Amino acid sequence: MTTGTPEPLLALSDINTFYGQAQVHFDLSITVGRGHIVCLLGGNASGKSTTMKIILGLVKPRSGEVMFDGASLIGLTTPQIVRRGIASVPEARRLFADMSVRENILMGAFVRNDRDAVAQDLDRMLTLFPKLGQRLSQRAGSLSGGEQQMVAMARALMSRPRLIVMDEPTMGLSPLYVDRVLELIRTINQEGVSVFMVEQNASLALEIAHEAYVLQTGRIVLSGPARTLKDDPRVRDAYLGGSEAA
Amino acid sequence: MSSWLDYTINGLIVGNVYALVAVGLALIFGVSRLINFAQGSIYLVGAYIGWVAVVQLHTPLPLTIIFVAVVAALVGVIIERFGLRPLQNSVRIAPLLATIGISFVLDQLVMLTFSPNPRALPSQLPDVRFQVGGGTIGPLDLLIAGVGISSALLLFVFLRYSKLGWAVRAASQDRDAAMQMGVDVNRVNQAVFGIAAALGGVSGLLVGMYYNQIDTAMSLQATLKGVVAEVVGGAGNVPGAVVGSLLLGLVESYGVAVFGTSYRNLFAFLLLVVVLVLRPNGLFASARQAPPEPLTGTFIAPSRPVRIPRWALAVAVAAFAILPLLPVSFYILQTLINAWLLGMLALSLTLVAGTIGQVSLGHAALLAIGAYTSALLSLTLSVPVGLAIVAGGLMSAALGTILISPSFRLRGHYVSIATLAIGEIVSLVILNWESVTRGPIGISGIPPLSLFGYDLISPNSVYWFSFAVMVVLALLQARLLGSHLGRSFRAIRDDDIAARAYGLSLNRYKSLAFIFGGFAAGVSGGIAAHLYSYINHETFNTQQSILALTVVILGGLGNVVGAIVGAVALVGLPEVFRIAAEYRILIYGIVLLLLVRFRPQGLLGTI
Repeated sequence: MTTGTPEPLLALSDINTFYGQAQVHFDLSITVGRGHIVCLLGGNASGKSTTMKIILGLVKPRSGEVMFDGASLIGLTTPQIVRRGIASVPEARRLFADMSVRENILMGAFVRNDRDAVAQDLDRMLTLFPKLGQRLSQRAGSLSGGEQQMVAMARALMSRPRLIVMDEPTMGLSPLYVDRVLELIRTINQEGVSVFMVEQNASLALEIAHEAYVLQTGRIVLSGPARTLKDDPRVRDAYLGGSEAA
Repeated sequence: MSSWLDYTINGLIVGNVYALVAVGLALIFGVSRLINFAQGSIYLVGAYIGWVAVVQLHTPLPLTIIFVAVVAALVGVIIERFGLRPLQNSVRIAPLLATIGISFVLDQLVMLTFSPNPRALPSQLPDVRFQVGGGTIGPLDLLIAGVGISSALLLFVFLRYSKLGWAVRAASQDRDAAMQMGVDVNRVNQAVFGIAAALGGVSGLLVGMYYNQIDTAMSLQATLKGVVAEVVGGAGNVPGAVVGSLLLGLVESYGVAVFGTSYRNLFAFLLLVVVLVLRPNGLFASARQAPPEPLTGTFIAPSRPVRIPRWALAVAVAAFAILPLLPVSFYILQTLINAWLLGMLALSLTLVAGTIGQVSLGHAALLAIGAYTSALLSLTLSVPVGLAIVAGGLMSAALGTILISPSFRLRGHYVSIATLAIGEIVSLVILNWESVTRGPIGISGIPPLSLFGYDLISPNSVYWFSFAVMVVLALLQARLLGSHLGRSFRAIRDDDIAARAYGLSLNRYKSLAFIFGGFAAGVSGGIAAHLYSYINHETFNTQQSILALTVVILGGLGNVVGAIVGAVALVGLPEVFRIAAEYRILIYGIVLLLLVRFRPQGLLGTI
């Protein structure tokens, strides 16, 4: 599937997930190549967010394998998975609302013990997200949605991850911030971090992604290079048509 | 001695003691959204460990404090690891019930180890008092203030500057997001329970020294006071808990100054109910605080109730009805009479807690109202006993519903706290309203059961009477649950917002449930009063409320037959196995813990 890529960084294979009796995933297989942006498209209740939760170990699949950098993640706890080098930008950002912006960003480095390097990375975040500089001592909950998204991304980067998983990073943002966030994802990726993002907004996601998968009620129905999918009439009909309204 | 300054100092000192308990509760609530009802038991354990250290090991004061803190912290860590962590994926009310079970077990273990008699815990400080303005202050006051302030400072530094402290704060704001930062939430929980327990244990030690005396009744009081202070300050708000505690200490102290000592607790619980009703998020909650939504969810575990065919039930009723005609011992009849009385209470609670989802922890108050009404009517107004019992049931239905109605707007854990407080208030009013209730002396010489002028004195007649009343109540309740009312009740339990959206008036249905439940419990209390011939304000206590809850969970919440089966099992089995009385409460606690963990749907399944 991931033609021309070396051994993938992340590979989900034949995942079957259940919530009680209801099956969420049917033999789901996804790979994220090293240095790639891969996006998972799908409508409501297609199982997108659950896919993210499986990577992070928040939901356990009934069967299947999750390999990260050649080692299985199945059976690991979320903190253990984070320590392996996967950071997340959760849906709706999920900042620690009563902690300051600085504390939020530093929470991202919770798994690290190299204090000096963490301080340097904090400075680096402020060059990457200059707006946050004036907000450092402000309560995170008092920021606008776009600013919160910046904090969430800075927080994720602070663990020096090899892979960032993002759940609908553009959801609820103003058009201005949507562009800004997409640009930042590209920048982050150019610095060598692989990105796996879940999106509803297909046209935006396909603009920056290398590869994409389309998930429909728990099954991958389409996959391939983002450029190809963008022109695929099926994707166009299913998502791009409606995306203007969304 | 009795200057206002003295009362202020006393209020602040006592407030400091409450703060040590309340801060721990707030920390735990912050991280796990759990009101830890075992906190008072740790306080009790702390007091007794302190006694061992001071009286038997003769440790110097600083060492005593450290010793108590360390042992108490260990107990806290063990509670978290083995009592609560296994319940992580359980329904929200399960950990709360588990902490109640744990507190029963701990209290009873302390009682069995040290005997229930009070012990003197000598203060290790010189007994001198210094004049300060118009009041006096002693070294122990200063110690308590010092421990309170330095604990608060330490806690502040810990939360603000240590890595684990950051993890605690992050986890209390967003547990999942904290996990995604690599925070090990189990470790955070463990740390928080350890810290809370250390503070609680030291608090128990200091209180013991302050009053020079410790006894096992301290536990529930401490939990209640801590919960009051914490809720007043805003659940999960650590600085709020400190302020709430000081406020509670002052309110109590001034209340005592004006009205007398026996009013101390009344003020505490009135403060709680007022805050719960007017500002359920506490006095200091700002708009930004998350709604108390995670507190909702009842204890209804998904299950398919065991279907018992009607003929089997009829056979069982017939068998129990003819039992006195068989050669059975008086002792068995006596045990079963107790089971029928408890069964009526369980019918009431299974309706309120199971069917409509309001987990009441103060149900014994309904017994007390029924008992006092019936006893006083028959004794002072010579109302025939049969009629007086019915009047007791009606009074319990009316008064109980009126008392609980302000908390109809609360949900989840808050309902449990409110009912607990209301239960305490009823008992305290009985204690203090001497002109009617005869106060602490209680009511003696209550006439025996009688019906239409015939005294029911023989064990057989008492047995038949109580059995018949229970069966009638059970049939009524089963009929009620089969009607559209039962469906509406369950709808409110499962999703009150959805139920309201479909046009159900929550208040009306909750009132109906409490009216019916209040009647059943009141009748049970009335019969008990005439059976015991003596009652006082402690006859119907929190222990009975919790026992009823255990019965109801054992039988299966909402399950009418289950309530009765549970009552027979919990009253009968200890008798069958001849378990000594002092171990029974311990066993009830263990049963509750095991049920919550392994069979939350009970024996017959929830409905």
